[in-house]
Amino acid sequence: MAEEKPERPAEPQFPPRGNPYLAGFLAWLLPGLGHVYLGRRGRGVLFGVLVLTAIAFAVGLEGRFFHFVRGEPFSYAATATIAATGVPYWVLRARGYEGNTIAPGFEYGAAFLLSAGLMNLLLILDAWDISRGEKK
Amino acid sequence: MSHFLLMVIYALIVSIFFAVLWRRERSEQWKLFLKIFGGMVGGGLVVAWLMYPFPSGPPAPIP
Repeated sequence: MAEEKPERPAEPQFPPRGNPYLAGFLAWLLPGLGHVYLGRRGRGVLFGVLVLTAIAFAVGLEGRFFHFVRGEPFSYAATATIAATGVPYWVLRARGYEGNTIAPGFEYGAAFLLSAGLMNLLLILDAWDISRGEKK
Repeated sequence: MSHFLLMVIYALIVSIFFAVLWRRERSEQWKLFLKIFGGMVGGGLVVAWLMYPFPSGPPAPIP
């Protein structure tokens, strides 16, 4: 006797909001802006404050700023990760920020900066999902 | 600023972020926040305790 497979519950659907491409772009441009665009103002502002605080600590600790280094794949991943913070990345880059290799907080700062980039990558995906109605 | 304080600040930022990202209900957010924050700080202290017999020298002061 063949076992019946349990029916998969229907995916919860929520009303789509805005344009997912614009939401994703705004989320990348400035941490939290994608959520503000989608009407999630409180969460957007909180996310923005958290990511920008992490970046502020990274700079305060003179943490490492990553660049592409030919033949070093980890440098590609790290640079792409911190570039995911959007405007803050370009501001730091334009101001010639490099971090300070002999600063005691150099590696701590790098951890804060990389985490800020990873958090904003998740925010981009979250904004995309909310806009497509896959998340509330 | 001490290494411990930096770890606590880092854990605070990350745990608030994931609690708000992954949960919608306020009570659920608090539960997840406490789990992540406790796990990170508690885990850090456990690892530090396990590494105690293997000192690498005096810790560098962080301004």
